[in-house]
Amino acid sequence: MKHKVLTLLVFLFSSSFSIAQEASVYSAYTISSNLKDHANTVVRYNDIAINIESFDKIVYTNTRVVTILNKAGNTKTGTTVHYDENINIKKLEARIFNASGAEIKKIKKKDFEDISAVPGGTLYSDSRVKYLKYTPTTYPYTVHFIAEVEYETTAYLSGWSPVEGFYISTEQSSYKVTNNSDVALKVLTKNLEPYEITTHGKYHYSVKNIKALQPEAYGPRFSTYTPMVKVALKSFVMNGVEGVNNDWNDFGAWIDNSLLNGTEELPDAIKKDIQNLTAGVTSNVDKARLVYKYMQDKTRYISVQVGIGGWKPMLAQDVDRLGYADCKGLSNYTKALLDAAGVTSYYAIIYGDRNIRNINKDFSGAEGNHAVLCIPDANGVYTWLECTSQTDPFGFIANWTDDRDALIITPQGGKIVHTTSYSEKESVQDTKAEVVLNGNGTIKGNVTITTTGYQYALHEGIQNRPVREHDLYFKDHWDYINNLSVTDINFTNNKDVVVFTESATVNATSYAQKSGSRLLVIPNMFNRVTYTPTRYKNRTLDFEIQRGFTDVDTFIITLDDAYSVEAMPEPVNITNKFGSYSAAISVDAAGKLIYKRTYMLRKGFYPKEDYASYRAFIASIVKHDKAKMVLVTK
Amino acid sequence: MKYFYLVVVALFTLQGGVAQNYKFGKVSKEDFNKYKTPASPDDNATVIYRSQTINFEYAPSKGFFQQNEVHERILIHNKEGFDWATKKVRIYNQSAANSELLRNLKGYTFTYSNGKVEKIKLKSEGMFEEIANQYWKINTFTMPNISEGCIIEYTYVVESPYLSIKDIDVQYTIPIAKFELEIRTPEYFKYSRILNPRATFIPKIEESESERTVRYTARKEESTLNAFRSLKSGVSQTEFTFAENIITVDLDNVPALKIEPLVNNLDNYRAKLVMEHTSTKYPNDIAKYYSTTWDDVTKKIYEDNDFGAQLNRKGFYTEDLETLVGTQKGGDTFKKAQAILNFVKRKVKWNGFVGYTAENGVRKAYIDGSGNVADINLLLVSMLREAGIKANPVLVSTKSNGIPLFPTRQGFNYVICLIEDTGFTALLDATSPYSTFNILPDHVVNWQGRVIREQGSSTWINLSGMPSSKKTVSLNVKMNNDLSVEGKVRTHLTNYFAYSYRSVYAKVTAESHAKNLEKNKGDISITNLTVENDTDALQPLKVNYDYKLNGAVEDLGGKLYFSPLLFFGDNENPLKQEERIYPIDLGFPKTSKYIVNIMLPEGYKVESLPKSEASKFNTNEGVFSYIIKENGKYLQLTVNIDFNTSLVQPADYDAFKAFYTLITTKESEKVVLTKI
Repeated sequence: MKHKVLTLLVFLFSSSFSIAQEASVYSAYTISSNLKDHANTVVRYNDIAINIESFDKIVYTNTRVVTILNKAGNTKTGTTVHYDENINIKKLEARIFNASGAEIKKIKKKDFEDISAVPGGTLYSDSRVKYLKYTPTTYPYTVHFIAEVEYETTAYLSGWSPVEGFYISTEQSSYKVTNNSDVALKVLTKNLEPYEITTHGKYHYSVKNIKALQPEAYGPRFSTYTPMVKVALKSFVMNGVEGVNNDWNDFGAWIDNSLLNGTEELPDAIKKDIQNLTAGVTSNVDKARLVYKYMQDKTRYISVQVGIGGWKPMLAQDVDRLGYADCKGLSNYTKALLDAAGVTSYYAIIYGDRNIRNINKDFSGAEGNHAVLCIPDANGVYTWLECTSQTDPFGFIANWTDDRDALIITPQGGKIVHTTSYSEKESVQDTKAEVVLNGNGTIKGNVTITTTGYQYALHEGIQNRPVREHDLYFKDHWDYINNLSVTDINFTNNKDVVVFTESATVNATSYAQKSGSRLLVIPNMFNRVTYTPTRYKNRTLDFEIQRGFTDVDTFIITLDDAYSVEAMPEPVNITNKFGSYSAAISVDAAGKLIYKRTYMLRKGFYPKEDYASYRAFIASIVKHDKAKMVLVTK
Repeated sequence: MKYFYLVVVALFTLQGGVAQNYKFGKVSKEDFNKYKTPASPDDNATVIYRSQTINFEYAPSKGFFQQNEVHERILIHNKEGFDWATKKVRIYNQSAANSELLRNLKGYTFTYSNGKVEKIKLKSEGMFEEIANQYWKINTFTMPNISEGCIIEYTYVVESPYLSIKDIDVQYTIPIAKFELEIRTPEYFKYSRILNPRATFIPKIEESESERTVRYTARKEESTLNAFRSLKSGVSQTEFTFAENIITVDLDNVPALKIEPLVNNLDNYRAKLVMEHTSTKYPNDIAKYYSTTWDDVTKKIYEDNDFGAQLNRKGFYTEDLETLVGTQKGGDTFKKAQAILNFVKRKVKWNGFVGYTAENGVRKAYIDGSGNVADINLLLVSMLREAGIKANPVLVSTKSNGIPLFPTRQGFNYVICLIEDTGFTALLDATSPYSTFNILPDHVVNWQGRVIREQGSSTWINLSGMPSSKKTVSLNVKMNNDLSVEGKVRTHLTNYFAYSYRSVYAKVTAESHAKNLEKNKGDISITNLTVENDTDALQPLKVNYDYKLNGAVEDLGGKLYFSPLLFFGDNENPLKQEERIYPIDLGFPKTSKYIVNIMLPEGYKVESLPKSEASKFNTNEGVFSYIIKENGKYLQLTVNIDFNTSLVQPADYDAFKAFYTLITTKESEKVVLTKI
């Protein structure tokens, strides 16, 4: 008896709790009802224990019990392990329990599915994955999963996110890093207080009973409001290459010295080519413009993830010879070309994502999923080059790497800087149309759409699509107009000033609806907001508009002589903190109707209390955009 | 036997003299000049030359094995065409003895500038091999130094221990200027061949025969083909002679395969040659037949241990079956069948794999509670039979597998169940929880199925002759002074309407169900949502709710305007194309009916109503009517839309589009009210 108490005490000190040996944790019936609310998956118990043996050896152990309540939760068992030649799976097993907690199946390591961890489009990667493949026969069911993995590559340590995703609740979860080595560690914690996370020590955390979260439209990035712990080694090894990581400065220096250094050599003939190409050009920007074009014409993007954990770029001379590489190889190659032209540039690591995602400036380490190139100027302004695109204008990065923190690798080490942001003033869509409306409701005329800034990125893609898709593109753009035909389509892409122009002739029969002797016409023909954001009875998340824009519209409408205006929408003018909207119709000297509309939306981060008024703003735009005028026969 | 081998050789020599040089590596400036302008602006690349040669080699250690050589020369016109510079070859890779092998991969990229053709070689750094899973590996190669206007050329051989020949694509989504194919098969192996009859391009095929002698050094203990040893025994050098069947295809200007929306599987329309291995007969041996007729194919499948024999495994379920339907053979067939279908659905869950042969075996699937399509549906057949119901398996090809072109075992990839009892016939698929009698998952409803009766005889059965599905919506509308409307919606769905609704909504909470219903209906709120028969797939699904819609009525200059169908009806015409090449798949025949009852607001009267109208498409394939009546303070609207077909032919596209346009136009027309 005495012995038992002692064990228990030791246990309590060493870990906040242990996995219950009795069946209760395997039974779905013991889950409290508040954890089942909006949950597809309940994490019953999740324990991550990381033992750092030395700077080049880490043992990761995960014991995990998860109850899957329904089909939607099936992919969230969390029973996947990545591995490669430096990651060795020592132990892997799973047991499946039915609703009442009786064991129904046991899966051994060899019965896990083993596949290549290649995302679509990647030609090659040496990373592989083992995952549990189990077809549930009934719900709920429970999985008990044990994994022990030995890492000989230590640049990245598994962190802890006890709220694992939407529709997942957590009964208990814990995380502990034990350092048996003399390597110094650093730690980052976020959002621990709101979730009542218990801190047992600098590297030891636990939590109980977190309810499931649900996604909401315009919600911020999940990781910005959920709890997280990250730990990293200050001295590490990545696939045999040693490094230090106290801060971004020395981690960046490591990338420079160990991954980039020596990869930038180019054959003399190519250097000469570049020098000839840029001869006589004085400004660095103009030189870089020529070099960027040279690179775009010569290369293409191919995803090949090899070389020091997928972090080392291909040699610049190989890229030159083969004409292809991934983002790292192409950025590094462009840097080498710019070096030959005497233009300084920095290799940069970033998240390439339509949603804005920052490199964490407070915690250095193996982050990012993309590489770009950054050209500094004397005033501290940076020009960013997306080197994987054969078509992007010089220095244009909207919608993929814009407005976020990136790591640049300078000769003085790593540094976090912010990329170009495209303001609502720069990101304009200007639509001009001149149409004739005849007595049977048909409209005919010409439309021109001009886009700049972020909106340029949304539109320019169509020029590279097959011709047969061009009219369908406009028909989708104006999907509220039926019986539409679009002809004489023309695209002009002015890459020097980053302006994209589309023009077309349109014809829509029965555009105006006949009601007896009247014609109902929506004067906003070519730029309607039709989608109202979802309504929430209780909004729980703050919300974010990631990019601002301005739409300006002028539609000139010539009426059929037989008709006169009976009723017309009143002019509208709305201004609030989200942006502004105005729409008005006037009649010019020749009797033509002129519809003018401006809609501007600002980028911004707003508390959840503001959501209802934001929704009301958009809903009123939707309403005004389809406001009708009534024409009646004279 | 006569041999015509000289003819082919002569033809080739002649052509080589006058025309382009297609020999590997011999790209000249003529190639650049001749093909630099694409035939259509949509051609991102042009195949200058594609040749494929399939023949069988003999080695004493392994017998006959297949060599499939591909040679392609492609001019890349623009950056969108760069994808053609990366090629993936799927290689079957199960075990050392049963694996295919990619050999002799060679490639060059050619560029042309200042009157000079330059080339760069594809090296091992551009070749990748990846084990995808336990059956397949993927060999990928990507050509170096690609730029707009360059020509790539590569060749490789896939060596296979199997006699079955993979389908040969004659058409790509880019044009092929010159296409050559040669298939040489030893007389011992018989193949039947067919071209895809649905393709808009039909290539011409020539056949001939030739004699071939194989010489090899035989060590007696290694010789595998006893039959041949007598040919020249006693010496280490051995030879034997046999006839080869030769198929050749020689084409100029194969048009690009056009891509269109609303096509269920583009591959169904690709020009391709399919070779089915039908029999093997070695000298002095009896012939082994694989498949020559659909009867043969069916018989072979039936004899497969993982098919026919599965139907006779029963001991493990006897007890459960007795509990379910009792021991009596008689009784209500329908009720018994329903009980068994529901039991199998509950008992064995689909693991996502298709196939007409059992993966785990019905017994194991039964015990584990999971299995592939065959595990589940063969178990269903077996249990129905054991309960005294006449049930048979039906072989099916799913939509993604395409429509089988001719008798082949690969033509099928799925199995379902057919009950053919006295006065009661029904198709069943127990893999989907909401499928029921004659309501099969959409991917199964493709063309026709092959029923296998108990003695192994077989016959076709139509899968697309599905019962029409009905949707009836009744809508009550009360108009308020603030231009909002409110009322009740009652929806009654049968067959496929109910099936697809259940598949989407059965698992969601009432809250998100209501949220989904609110989508695309404007500023609406939906309350008191009730769903009847949400899991009982045999009953019609009923979805009822109350709604309040703001801004449904517009006040324009003192008159009220509104669309009487409110949020129902198609506001967007999905037929946006100006013309059509392939048929349009409508899914299933359907009848939709909307009954709207509108109570007019106090103080208003009708000024104008949309005209009542009716229209038909292609006799009775589409029927539409719109009837609106004023009745005191009420308006009554009845809209009927029937599609009595599931496929619309391209020839009927214009008429169908006009029919659909009328529907969408009519559905958006407005009622006008004025103050009394």
